[in-house]
Amino acid sequence: MILGIETSCDDTCAAVVTTAGVLHSNAVASQGLLHSRYGGVVPEIASRRHLELVGAVVADALERAGAGLDDVRAVAVTRGPGLIGALLVGVSTAKALAATRRLPLHAVDHLHGHVTASMLGDEPIEAPYGCLVASGGHTFVARVDHPSGFRTLGETLDDAAGEAFDKGARLLGLGYPGGPALDRLARTGDPEAFDFPRSLPGTGLDFSFSGLKTSLLYRVRDLGDEVARARAADLAASYQRAVVDALVARSLAAIERERLERFAIGGGVAANSELRTRIAEECGRLGVDLWVPPHELCTDNAAMIAGAARFTPALPYPAYLDLDASATLA
Amino acid sequence: MSLSILGLDTSTAATAACLLRSDGEAFEVEPGLDALTGRPGHSRELMPAVAQVMDAGGLAFADLSAISVGVGPGGFTGLRIGIATARALAQADGLALRPISSLAALAAGIAAPLALPLIDARRGELFAALYAQGDELWAPFVASPERIVELLIEAGLRPVAAGDGALRSRQTLEAGGLELAGAGSRSHVVRALHICRLAAQASDVPPEAVLPDYLRAPDAHPTR
Ligand SMILES: [Zn+2]
Repeated sequence: MILGIETSCDDTCAAVVTTAGVLHSNAVASQGLLHSRYGGVVPEIASRRHLELVGAVVADALERAGAGLDDVRAVAVTRGPGLIGALLVGVSTAKALAATRRLPLHAVDHLHGHVTASMLGDEPIEAPYGCLVASGGHTFVARVDHPSGFRTLGETLDDAAGEAFDKGARLLGLGYPGGPALDRLARTGDPEAFDFPRSLPGTGLDFSFSGLKTSLLYRVRDLGDEVARARAADLAASYQRAVVDALVARSLAAIERERLERFAIGGGVAANSELRTRIAEECGRLGVDLWVPPHELCTDNAAMIAGAARFTPALPYPAYLDLDASATLA
Repeated sequence: MSLSILGLDTSTAATAACLLRSDGEAFEVEPGLDALTGRPGHSRELMPAVAQVMDAGGLAFADLSAISVGVGPGGFTGLRIGIATARALAQADGLALRPISSLAALAAGIAAPLALPLIDARRGELFAALYAQGDELWAPFVASPERIVELLIEAGLRPVAAGDGALRSRQTLEAGGLELAGAGSRSHVVRALHICRLAAQASDVPPEAVLPDYLRAPDAHPTR
């Protein structure tokens, strides 16, 4: 069994996964409400909270797996990218736990975790495959030829898709985190009511969402508070359509360019209902098999970290004792 | 009854670890003075230092009676690395955990009847406390060096100051008539040996209650 620990942003996570990819537990203590008062994740507050929670979350993950530390064969931890102060809580915890049993330690790339999340469970996706990862912190499309790594085909040049949803939601007065609220409101609106700019892929597969956000800002301003409020559902639906169009267009371009037969989505934005529907339709049309992991494997979690660790070599004791976290993993 | 205690401190830029074995022998990684002004490297240094003192003392973690850790005040990130490490080590083997004030540990190294340990708090401020022969006279607080001098003059007290905060604010403190440990004195470093010795007299605290003594709220303002 592999014990995974993930503290790169605002969720304190631990999980137990077998070397065959069977999930025994996947514990998450979300800090969402704590940060909602600030309109975004405050790194110092997140770091403080991780320290308060991490011991209990690890204990919870082991207990739910019916296991103790003596049953664990390796520890896996997110080394980066992420908030450095937050990462260090997880890395320090993982190193200390592993050292007491002289267990090997896997230092995992958080993005590798997202990319390989669909390799967990009963019907794991098989390489080669393509993957769209979209969340509040990252947005990219990748190609996986071997589960030990991935090649980024395109990534966001400014905001992440989840950030675009959160910022859009805030402009529409929906609070933080606004992604799910915007998704709900959009279902009652007309996605064609307003025209928002789309930068469709040319030769590259990169994303850009900052222009879209600015365009919503101007649209709300032009309409005036009262009209904007009355038409919030139409604005939400049109805005969401533009974000989803960008995500779907890059995914399809990647599938075609790379001649992919399997595709997966991941990251918190993969919970968005319109994205799920649209990408399923398009993949169906192209005859491409699509993997959409359950919600708890899309948002940040430690199961994907323990899962990814299965495909990368571990550092033996004591080689990891001086391991540091890395905000960028550059 | 004697206990075997592992002690850590990461409240300053330096990393300190010590194993105080039940037979009274100590195995210590004592940082040099230069570590106080260098870039903090707690994540890279702490576990190797822990492994070093455990190996030197010939003990396994499960042989320990307690883990003790300096809980600051001090640098937030460093404190979290030290405390996360201590909590995980304790959790793994069901060991007792004993939080110790880093200022008290610093004071334990000051050879004077009245000790003023000072830890750099950045932004022109220092974390301070006042101890008379180990008894806490002033609880830890944060203030500018000017204000600390003022408070001591008002109280008519003449302690000896040490710590990375004392070194950083030497000019202001000396101009205020305060006595400082010598520039090359080892008493400026928070020693993990002192964490262990204080812990030998302290009581166990539930692991979830062992958290940094931040003394400062995070820099964040609610938007609504
Ligand atoms: Zn993520």
